Amino acid sequence: MESLTLTEQRGGAGPIQVPVDDWATRYGDEIERHVTRMLGSIDEARDIVQELWVTALRVPPDWGEGSNIRAWLYRVATRRALDVLSARRRHDGLLEARSRELEPDRLPRPDEVIHGLSDEGADLVRTRVAELPSKQRDAVWLRWIEGVDYETIAERLDCTQDAARANVYQGLKRLRRELAGLWKEEALR
Amino acid sequence: MTGNCTYRDEDVLAWVLGDADGSRGDDLTLHLAECSSCRERAEEYCALDRSAGACREGAVIRWRAFQSPFGKMRIAASRKGLVELTWRPLDDDAFVCGLEGRFRKAPVVCDCGQLEAVEEQLHEYFDARRTRFELPVDFGGLTDFQRAVLTAASGLGFGEVATYTDIARRIGRPRASRAVGNALGRNPVAIVVPCHRVVRSDGSLGGYTGGLRYKEALLDIEGRQDLLDLEELELGGELGLR
Repeated sequence: MESLTLTEQRGGAGPIQVPVDDWATRYGDEIERHVTRMLGSIDEARDIVQELWVTALRVPPDWGEGSNIRAWLYRVATRRALDVLSARRRHDGLLEARSRELEPDRLPRPDEVIHGLSDEGADLVRTRVAELPSKQRDAVWLRWIEGVDYETIAERLDCTQDAARANVYQGLKRLRRELAGLWKEEALR
Repeated sequence: MTGNCTYRDEDVLAWVLGDADGSRGDDLTLHLAECSSCRERAEEYCALDRSAGACREGAVIRWRAFQSPFGKMRIAASRKGLVELTWRPLDDDAFVCGLEGRFRKAPVVCDCGQLEAVEEQLHEYFDARRTRFELPVDFGGLTDFQRAVLTAASGLGFGEVATYTDIARRIGRPRASRAVGNALGRNPVAIVVPCHRVVRSDGSLGGYTGGLRYKEALLDIEGRQDLLDLEELELGGELGLR
């Protein structure tokens, strides 16, 4: 990497000059860990972090007064990770939409995205979804699994769009609480 | 979240789902660099988001309700085929509750178009525009005996009738005609699995779960007025089927 320095604000100590190749040493691991946890894939996280250095060199960020390199790196990396997540969601939603008709003895499709959970883990997720109160379950399923828009969900559940959205959020908040232990366990596998 | 953190659980979730509006989302993206508890929460929501795949490949029961000549009809299907068809006067919650009891591990959810084709075929049947259902049926969760009886009954064509004893013979249990009657009485997928086409050896119709008048109405649709007496035909007329 080029030896380029940028100004970083550090607390009360005032701005300091940080060589670009120091960024990788200083923040690379931390950001890669965060993106890995977001995406569940270390390879994709590495790609994103690599891209991050390239972007920083090609398009030097516009450092305003009080801005900070670490926050900028997080911003670029997490936005990119969110794009990957949303692309996956669209892809899976399309696949699910394509399987809307009854398929006897349906086999997993070869292009299905792997969720990375063990069989027991996947079972637990399904059980917790099955145990949601029925309004939340319907809303969560339509929005989260099938990617249906809020307008259609509201129509289907005979409620307002706000109520549909509230049910999706309440359901997902509950699932996060109930499944928090699972991610930790599965990460150890 | 830390003491000075103004972001709520919903904000982090909206950010992960891409529901957050522009500036709020950008602020949170910057905030994540500073706030480890929001970051952890975001990671958990991302993990939850990924695990949606577990539901896309696993069991699910979808259900749908619609108006029919028999009143409000409800149907339910697994990914493999129909598991229930009923017009019992239940409310939606009671119906869903019944499915939850029968399929303990599968989420029971309302359908969003998947069962439209099933509904359409039933409308066509009631309008005498369809004599054969092209629908997979899923007998999962039933006993081998029930499955054998329902499979044998499924072999009866439009307007064709057999006796309870015929069915008992066909499944190799010639003395079990009473048990056959019971198994047909518990047929979870009425009409599509045509238990109404099974009658008594003496020419009377036998029973029908939900009311004999429905059996009469179905045989009437199928042109078997010869099996019905005049009084019952009038009942069929009341159901608006003639």
